[in-house]
Amino acid sequence: MRKSIKKKLSLLLAGAMAAGTLTGCGQDAESSTGITTEGAVPETDNATEEASTSGEPVTITAWHDNDEAMMEALAAVVNEKLAGENITLRFEKKSDVSGQIRLYGTDAANGPDMYLFAHDSLGGFAEMGILEPVGNLISEDKEADLLPMTIEAASYKGEQYLMPVYYETLLFMYNKSLWKGEVPSTTDELYDYMVENTDTNAGTYALVNQHSNSYNVAPFINGFGGYIIDKDANPGLNVQETKDAISYNKKFAELQADGDYNTVTALFNEGNAAAIIGGPWLISGIKEAGIDLGIKSLCDFTLPNGDVMTPYSGVQCLGVLKYAAESKKEALTRVLEVLAEPEVGITLAKEFNCAPANSKAYEDADVAANEMILAMEKSAKKAVPMSNIPEMSVMWGPAESLLAAVNKSGEDVDTAADKYQKEALQAIADMQ
Amino acid sequence: MKKSNRKLTPWLYNFPAFILIGIIVLFPILYTGYISLTNMNLYHWQDYTFVGADNYVRALGKVDSGFIAALFTTILWTVVNMVLDVGIAYILAIGLNVEGLRGRRIYKTLIIFPWAMPAYVSILAWRVGMYNTEFGLLNKVLVALGFEKMDFLSKNVPAFLSCVVLNLWMSLPYMVVMFDGALQSIDRSMYESAILDGAGAWQKNWYITIPSLRKVMAPVVIMTTFTTFKQFDIVYLLTMQKGAVSGSTMQTIITYAHQNAFVSNNYGLSSAVSIVIFVIIIAFSAWTNRAAKEV
Amino acid sequence: MINKTATLSVKKRIRLTCLNLFYIGVCFLGLVPIIYVFLLSVSGGGGALKTGLSILPEKFTLDNYRRIIVEEPFLRWLLNSVVLSVGTMVIAMGTSVLASYAFSRFRFVGKNASMQILLLLNAFPQILSMFAIFRLFRLMNLLDSHVGLIFIYAGSMCIFSIWNMKGYFDSIPIEIEEASKIDGASNFQLILRIILPLARPAIIVTAVMVLIFVWNEYLFATTFMLKEESYTLAGGLYQLQANDYSRSWPLFSAAAILVSIPILIIFFCFQKYMVSGLTAGGVKG
Repeated sequence: MRKSIKKKLSLLLAGAMAAGTLTGCGQDAESSTGITTEGAVPETDNATEEASTSGEPVTITAWHDNDEAMMEALAAVVNEKLAGENITLRFEKKSDVSGQIRLYGTDAANGPDMYLFAHDSLGGFAEMGILEPVGNLISEDKEADLLPMTIEAASYKGEQYLMPVYYETLLFMYNKSLWKGEVPSTTDELYDYMVENTDTNAGTYALVNQHSNSYNVAPFINGFGGYIIDKDANPGLNVQETKDAISYNKKFAELQADGDYNTVTALFNEGNAAAIIGGPWLISGIKEAGIDLGIKSLCDFTLPNGDVMTPYSGVQCLGVLKYAAESKKEALTRVLEVLAEPEVGITLAKEFNCAPANSKAYEDADVAANEMILAMEKSAKKAVPMSNIPEMSVMWGPAESLLAAVNKSGEDVDTAADKYQKEALQAIADMQ
Repeated sequence: MKKSNRKLTPWLYNFPAFILIGIIVLFPILYTGYISLTNMNLYHWQDYTFVGADNYVRALGKVDSGFIAALFTTILWTVVNMVLDVGIAYILAIGLNVEGLRGRRIYKTLIIFPWAMPAYVSILAWRVGMYNTEFGLLNKVLVALGFEKMDFLSKNVPAFLSCVVLNLWMSLPYMVVMFDGALQSIDRSMYESAILDGAGAWQKNWYITIPSLRKVMAPVVIMTTFTTFKQFDIVYLLTMQKGAVSGSTMQTIITYAHQNAFVSNNYGLSSAVSIVIFVIIIAFSAWTNRAAKEV
Repeated sequence: MINKTATLSVKKRIRLTCLNLFYIGVCFLGLVPIIYVFLLSVSGGGGALKTGLSILPEKFTLDNYRRIIVEEPFLRWLLNSVVLSVGTMVIAMGTSVLASYAFSRFRFVGKNASMQILLLLNAFPQILSMFAIFRLFRLMNLLDSHVGLIFIYAGSMCIFSIWNMKGYFDSIPIEIEEASKIDGASNFQLILRIILPLARPAIIVTAVMVLIFVWNEYLFATTFMLKEESYTLAGGLYQLQANDYSRSWPLFSAAAILVSIPILIIFFCFQKYMVSGLTAGGVKG
């Protein structure tokens, strides 16, 4: 009897010790939260005196999975403008933002106020009911300067949910010291050039592309009149035009290494590929490698059918979470109003080669002279905005599998297209 | 009184562990079971309702030929990996314990190295550093020897083998350490008397080492078998990561479930699929358990 | 008996040489990918991935290491990793040594069944548990807290630890305990004084496994922690380099090496114990 009490006591003791270590760690966790790393954020205290209307200082947090320097530059522009109103915008980097928003999107205590992501994920979040339509926070006249294409991309079922910031399209980027002669203006000539100037075993290439990534093959698919998914959520993997485009792309793929992102960018940066199909996100690496870069819009290449290559356009937007709009409505409105002005776009364009969503930003002399932005602006006139219906999110997988099956495993286009069309239909059915 | 106390004692010892396991392991399974009975998906994110067994009907619909193939691949994957893992680790550990081997400590230390790398780093390093057609060491060697480049991950059989090699690279260090430790727990005097009886190296191995190891190693091997069975990262990151789909269509049941239920963000359906797979794993292990007992 | 001082026979010498060569080969093969990662980490930012056969970098630089250590909250992350690892180790080992001992030593109804059930529970892929744990922790206000993460890690490794140690406990002869029991030691004292030292190799190996798991885990760490400064090393570095588009391979490689080094140091320190085995005769086969 006594023995067992002793036993229980010792167990209790062990438990207490365990609890002790736990609280120890807890304290540590709390104390660590005291340290913050706001780089470019101005001190809010200094601004208090100037504040006329609002009293309490408000901090708006936004999650992103983007270039950190770029986000800091964006925040700096906004914060400078709102310094007098006690509003601070702060970005936090989160890998897999869309997955995180799905978890935290209803968690007012821990979730962010806003998030930045490409517009193609909009439909899903809108259907989940976690977004506050931006149209409810900002009046239409403040958005008058935004390019209609970007507003369209930020809207779902007739409602504008997101605030467009900048957009991207794929471009033809080439190394001026490696490319021989003029860059051709038809894809057939381009192909001939590739055949002549590619030696796969030696590892030298004329043009590389992520040939099995549907975003990178979209210029062919759209140009051929095919589609990955249409407005009514019908997948188009096995329509004839898509299949023709995939067969045509396969010829190119055979001369483009394995098409992995890391492979193709390294090949280009290293000088083993004379050209690459890519976007502004490659620029920093290319600059570091010291490459004399030439740029051409993909719309300058004519396909065999007479149409031009037509890339997707992706619009990076900020979304507002519903719970945040309930508690911080005024501050969010102000942040959105600043975002709709040209300054943010000009800064991002000058420093990071982003194509601003605000049309007025292009009046800036530096922006107007930026070759890359001009090429994107040109593409944007033709480009197809990625679909933002919820079903789009399940299309990337089957589309990429189809391309990989055709390009890498040598499967027959017709069989593979039917197979992955079926898979896509199943995935869409599974959503409901 | 005393007797009931004695009955309780083992449970008192188990209690803290069971509480922890209850919260972190058991609760999620039960919760998954609960969600599987609802229609929680993008369109009913916060207003989900009970839909009964609907999701299970749909989940069972996924137990089709693709699933059976994935199950077969998974079993093959587990068997091949475990046989090689245990076999190679055993040989390496025996060799390390040969008398007179001076460099033993250095070898052990070096063999452990791969274990220290985070799994995702190892996998990505292998994808780019070993298997890649342009930068991969294997292809560089092939080209240097005058062969054609080879895409190791684009077809199912080479992709399977590539995954096995990587899995062994990642799991062998642990196995070798465990075998090594177990080997040293064997009573030396048993060998000495065996030598006196005139036993050769093979006989010593067969009649002393292996039986002695069995008891210590059985739990380790069983745990590793389960880990191997549910291995996801290697196959996924090597062949099917978004943006780096390699072309092989090899699927294990976990990747199959992932691709067929989880990308659709239908939590009700994917929970039902999880539960179905869980039941299959239970059935599978019950079956192997029986088979093991009969041997 | 073999006379160890006698010179080795020629045959034995040849065998040992072959064995040495074999292990040198094995170690080399095992290390190739790591050497590759290391070489990447000390090459410059630009042309890090080379197409030629030579994998030696053109210029040697430690800039990637500097960037991680100086420009990221590296020490903060390191500290978090240590706190989480130690916390998890204490909880996981504390609970599982007790349970493992009970499973090994007591006879009780449902013992084998419990062991089997634990094994089956462990078969549930952990990644599928994330959503449920998220919901639970939100209610318990354990999101964004190291305590919550420690619970997750300890719970995840508990079953593994019980199973990993039970076999070893089984191999410790019960006679030793019975002798101490006669001396009047309580069960708890017994565990502390007799069993723990005897089972030291198994306990250390298990503890190191727990540590490695926590050290290298990034998915829960980045999902459940919300502030950059409360990430772990693996989580922070994963966050930094997770996205294909933002990944710089040399930086990524340097990060990988930096995460691995503390684990290697621990290996060195504990290797002696991990494989020291037991004094002859302490354990029957």
